[in-house]
Amino acid sequence: MKPGNQMIKEVLRNGTAAIVAMIIGGASIGYAQESVSVRAALTTGGLPLEDPNAAVWSSAPPATFPMSPQVHWQNRIQEVTVKDVIVRALHDGNQMAVLLEYADPTQDPDDAAALEFMVGDKKAHFAHGQPMLQVEGGPVNIWFWKNKTDKGVDMSAKGFGTLKPQEHQDVKAKGAYSNGTWKVVFSRNLSTGHPEEDVQITPGNFISIAFAVWDGRKDGAGELVEKGSQKAVSSWWYFRADAPPDYSGYMYAAIAAALALGFQFVLIRKLKKGQ
Amino acid sequence: MGALGKPIILMVAMYVFIKFVLPNIPGSAPLPSSLIALYLLLTGSGIVIFQTLSKESKDAFWGPMQRFLTGENLGGLQALRYGVLILFPLLVGWQTYGSTAVSDLPPIESRTIHPAPPGEYTGLSNPVAKTPDNIMQGKGFYAAYCSPCHGGNFDGKGPAARGFVPAPANFADPTTIAMLQESYLFWRIKKGGVGLPIEGTPWKSAMPRWEVELPDEWIWKIIMGEYDGAHQSPRTWE
Ligand code: HEC
Ligand code: HEM
Repeated sequence: MKPGNQMIKEVLRNGTAAIVAMIIGGASIGYAQESVSVRAALTTGGLPLEDPNAAVWSSAPPATFPMSPQVHWQNRIQEVTVKDVIVRALHDGNQMAVLLEYADPTQDPDDAAALEFMVGDKKAHFAHGQPMLQVEGGPVNIWFWKNKTDKGVDMSAKGFGTLKPQEHQDVKAKGAYSNGTWKVVFSRNLSTGHPEEDVQITPGNFISIAFAVWDGRKDGAGELVEKGSQKAVSSWWYFRADAPPDYSGYMYAAIAAALALGFQFVLIRKLKKGQ
Repeated sequence: MGALGKPIILMVAMYVFIKFVLPNIPGSAPLPSSLIALYLLLTGSGIVIFQTLSKESKDAFWGPMQRFLTGENLGGLQALRYGVLILFPLLVGWQTYGSTAVSDLPPIESRTIHPAPPGEYTGLSNPVAKTPDNIMQGKGFYAAYCSPCHGGNFDGKGPAARGFVPAPANFADPTTIAMLQESYLFWRIKKGGVGLPIEGTPWKSAMPRWEVELPDEWIWKIIMGEYDGAHQSPRTWE
């Protein structure tokens, strides 16, 4: 055996096993995943900013999230109308729209729904960014829609009793009721000039989102059953606006394949010469 | 090809075992692909080391591989050789694509379920006498304040539980309160989800901070009622 040959075999020895393992291991990727995030699909054909019934919504992938009656903090409620929300979202690189859909047997003036987002890098508790004892928390941005006014209110909170409308109103909202189903669309620019109070949405990044719904029905005495803290709430989930398509992966793959081809070529030539 | 046949069979068998047999053994779970790759790498290295221990087996192992690659006197296997030479770069390309592609999965947040309590909540003992009366009172408070989430059966499946992630603790499960001391529960009930340290992801927990609503004595009674109702007993050693 010649020394050159020896070296090549050394390479082969270490390389083969690694490559075989890599290929077999890598070929087995594939996860099943329940709804844990809202994906805002990138669209170029105009966003349905105030149209809950637009046909283009069917191109956005739906995600379903379970709701609980708010029993975390007083005043509590033990039973609520809405058990799940279905959420879709779209964006065009400048603006975004989120469609909330849920079953509610009656249309009432006090029906209402809201989205909640963490703002900035600090984590915020899902109940209005209430203070945490060992972790410094951040504020939340709440987008509130009420059937009565049929528009969106852009709000901030950091703890109970601090919820108030912002000075700069950036959010639009519009609802449509039919066949026992509410569809409410919320929309806004992806970024605003007020990053300390508004959620900023960067395509490709995951941010935290939560949902709340109030059924504006009244009890026998004519009192609202669901109001304020008494509502259906969700936990934190993720929201992400899709990044524009990125083809660099194909380029890297082509370079790697070319390198492997070259490696083979050189290896075989050396082996042939060495014999 | 004899010397190559065995290692290949061994690698395939190892893969089938890790991928399909191991996850079905009670108490284990499907392995992440990076771990599978690592195991196969170890197996592969082991085979190579074993095969190259002696000069003869070394030649028997590498000789056929070398002849295969250079294509000398291969005869009918020539087509297979071309297949391998084409497939290899393609697989490398595919691997590269897979490893550079941006993940569609949200960030994975690991959560420590039982983080260390603050110092002042270690080693406290229940000041309430363990009488049938007190246990019954504790169960009453539990039914009023805790059962909407933790369930009337102490199983974490209360009528309000469905939307909360992480889910309300299941006290009948031997890995929750049975592993904990009463002192630890006192801390968790008093301070709630917002009292957790950062590794417990307090921003996600729906567990209320009961100190704002319930006196300490009630909390101690609830602890007794909870253990009794869930048929568990507190950890006492240490
Ligand atoms: C709003 C729903 C809710 C209510 C009401 C509630 N809990 Fe919880 N509880 C949770 C959730 C969610 C968790 C899991 C997350 C965590 O550990 O903070 C939890 C966790 C706990 C734990 C920690 C268990 C462990 O294994 O670490 C204890 C103890 C506990 N709860 C006791 C109580 C008691 C006692 C009450 C009534 C006084 C109560 N909870 C009421 C939601 C609730
Ligand atoms: C367990 C979780 C929650 C609790 C305990 C809670 C509690 C409360 C309380 C106490 C109020 C009264 C006003 C105040 O204190 O500032 C309130 C109002 C409100 N909450 Fe929440 N909340 C929760 C989750 C949410 C979520 C997830 C959202 C949005 C998605 C939301 C949106 C609102 C809005 C818009 C109001 C004003 C309602 C109105 O004026 O009619 N809440 N909530």
